[in-house]
Amino acid sequence: MFEWSETEVLIRDSIRSFVDKEIRPHVDELESGALPPYDIIRKLFAAFGVDTMASESINALLAKRRKRAESGETSESTGDSGGSPFGGQESLALIAVSELAGVSLGIVASMGVSIGLTAQTILAKGTLAQQERWLPKLATFEHIGAWAITEPGSGSDAFGGMTTTVRRDGDEYILNGQKTFITNGPHADVIVVYAKLDTGDGTPQRDRPVLTFVLDKGMPGLTQGRAFKKMGMMSSPTGELFFSDIRLGKDRLLGEREPAASDGDGRDSARASFAVERVGVAALALGIINECHRLSVDYAKQRTLWGREIGQFQLIQLKLAKMEIARINVQNMVFSAIEKLRAGALPDLAEASAMKLYASETATEVAMEAVQLFGGNGYMSEYRVEQLARDAKSLMIYAGSNEIQVTHIAKGLLAG
Amino acid sequence: MTNIVVLVKQVPDTYSERKLAETDHTLDRESADAVLDEINERAVEEALKIKEAGEGEVTVLCVGPDRATDAIRKALSMGADKAIHVSDEALHGSDILATAKVIAAAIGKVEGVDLVIAGNESSDGGAGAVPALLAELLGMPQLTYAHHVSVEGSAIKVDRETADEGITHLEANLPAVVSVTEKINEPRYPSFKGIMAAKKKPVETLTVADLGLDAGEVGLDNAWSTVSEAAPKPPRTAGEKVEDDGDGGTKIAEYLVGQKLI
Ligand SMILES: Cc1cc2nc3c(=O)[nH]c(=O)nc-3n(C[C@H](O)[C@H](O)[C@H](O)COP(=O)(O)OP(=O)(O)OC[C@H]3O[C@@H](n4cnc5c(N)ncnc54)[C@H](O)[C@@H]3O)c2cc1C
Ligand SMILES: Cc1cc2nc3c(=O)[nH]c(=O)nc-3n(C[C@H](O)[C@H](O)[C@H](O)COP(=O)(O)OP(=O)(O)OC[C@H]3O[C@@H](n4cnc5c(N)ncnc54)[C@H](O)[C@@H]3O)c2cc1C
Repeated sequence: MFEWSETEVLIRDSIRSFVDKEIRPHVDELESGALPPYDIIRKLFAAFGVDTMASESINALLAKRRKRAESGETSESTGDSGGSPFGGQESLALIAVSELAGVSLGIVASMGVSIGLTAQTILAKGTLAQQERWLPKLATFEHIGAWAITEPGSGSDAFGGMTTTVRRDGDEYILNGQKTFITNGPHADVIVVYAKLDTGDGTPQRDRPVLTFVLDKGMPGLTQGRAFKKMGMMSSPTGELFFSDIRLGKDRLLGEREPAASDGDGRDSARASFAVERVGVAALALGIINECHRLSVDYAKQRTLWGREIGQFQLIQLKLAKMEIARINVQNMVFSAIEKLRAGALPDLAEASAMKLYASETATEVAMEAVQLFGGNGYMSEYRVEQLARDAKSLMIYAGSNEIQVTHIAKGLLAG
Repeated sequence: MTNIVVLVKQVPDTYSERKLAETDHTLDRESADAVLDEINERAVEEALKIKEAGEGEVTVLCVGPDRATDAIRKALSMGADKAIHVSDEALHGSDILATAKVIAAAIGKVEGVDLVIAGNESSDGGAGAVPALLAELLGMPQLTYAHHVSVEGSAIKVDRETADEGITHLEANLPAVVSVTEKINEPRYPSFKGIMAAKKKPVETLTVADLGLDAGEVGLDNAWSTVSEAAPKPPRTAGEKVEDDGDGGTKIAEYLVGQKLI
């Protein structure tokens, strides 16, 4: 593929009209954190029929699994993730998030974490009963999901340094600890939490197995902190979670049994999400680049100094040319990932990491250059490019900081 | 089962600059982004609501150049069932009479039409007369300026709203022609499913000859009306300043009365 298809363009235009009507007029409230993004996300889902589409496909999938279970297949954990992480709609999903990212990256982050990480983890690792319990409402966004790994003492070293702990108590578990920087944390209805199992046998903290649990809002012992003030993406509430002697039944342990040493643990389930998330980041970066590109070309044609449009100055031309190169490169990366997904493959972790690193760095550079090209106006909120610059920077930190991407790329290069 | 035909038109986006062609004063349709006229989106929305309330079929009908397929696809994405696209070089510059004749002939191709829904007036070279002409040509009652529509059995009820006359309740037997105003509804966004389904919906493309019309009846050369000159709207003048010497309120009221605004 070298360009979006006719259908994808129609979807893009449709999203654009939604963005113009339903998001742009609220950008100031959203980006100051005064207005949480959830009602807009629900409106988006309803407007494009995503809610019905999602519940139809989730119900169909669950019905299929129920039938399989009833016909006597024993496997408790369903294991398979239900096919492509984008349900065969990869280009559709990527063009939609890309368009949204150009105006409100936070909306995409909140949506992506709830659907792409929280629901996807339950879909991949939960038992049928757990899927039936949590997925239908997550899929339609009636419920907001959060996905909690990072802790104050462990971000990049998330699993090694993790100190949030569960201890067995009869048939149940007791959870204690703390998470931070959790997208949707302040509002989440359903929270996937990763925690270390302490069996009291003296295994060092670093080596203990990681278990994955699902928590509901309002459980005794769960505190959801208020949203932090952030550099950008204020439209996506990010906060802390505190766990104090939370009693969890087996029904909240994803898979409903502790994984045997041979099937890997919560680490694998988290890592499986990484490649998908990183391809997603490239699509978000593309959205920001496209928007900066569009705004900058317009501005260069319209701003006149010394009797000439600033687009006539070579130093401005250099900025525009670099933006165009960035757009071509990142778009090509996204297109090639779509081709892979369509062929039933996923870019491997090293490749996805390379895409993530390049795309996030490039989007940040492009957005900063857009601020520069706009001069004093660029520094003022009204012209929006300063928001895009603050938003873009976040792409270099989460989904694995860019330094960590370097290590994953190198591991791929040096292996074997 | 209500068999509905909705008229849709592709127009230059109101947000982009619109120009008339230098040579023949027709609208330069290449110079601006083309979109489905918003008033037609409302017409499609109303047709879909009627269909969803009972049973029915919605056919969109578009007279316009080849690129108007985008507007047609948008209407199909919203949920219309099929489309007729009349596209012919001979139609360039047709006036409202010729356009109405072409539309009437195309409606004749749809069997058992119960209801024709149009926008009141298009946002480009609009005269607001097509619905009325069409009703005359088809021999159907016309219910114009509708801001509320309901179909009950073989009857249609419309609240007609105009600035001069306020609200009038109209009722007619089907088949009928209805034209809707900006206020009638909020059009839906095409759903993702709708957009994907639209590709597979049938679009019948017809020429003037297919409609059994003579090329001598249509086009710029055969128009009853001509545009002899065009000039851009003059820039806004400074307006009238009212000094308030204690009687400012009265002066404003007098002005508004003079303009028939109150
Ligand atoms: C807006 C936002 C939303 C987030 N949402 C979530 C969420 O929903 N759920 C969740 O679990 N987490 C979330 N996070 C957390 C995010 O995943 C972490 O911030 C990220 O992994 C980095 O971890 P850290 O903040 O602890 O930084 P650190 O790990 O402390 O890193 C500090 C610096 O050291 C560098 N560094 C670390 N290790 C190495 C190394 N080996 N070699 C070289 N350099 C290294 C890093 O790249 C970075 O520059 C979110 C973060 C942000 C900003
Ligand atoms: C926070 C802030 C505080 C300020 N305070 C004051 C103040 O107190 N008093 C005051 O008078 N002003 C103030 N300014 C205005 C500031 O001096 C101007 O913003 C600055 O001079 C740039 O001018 P401009 O915004 O008109 O950008 P423009 O001149 O329009 O520049 C737009 C872009 O074109 C580039 N460009 C311009 N000419 C050329 C060229 N010949 N070749 C190549 N590229 C070119 C610029 O570098 C820039 O990237 C302030 C600005 C800010 C952001």
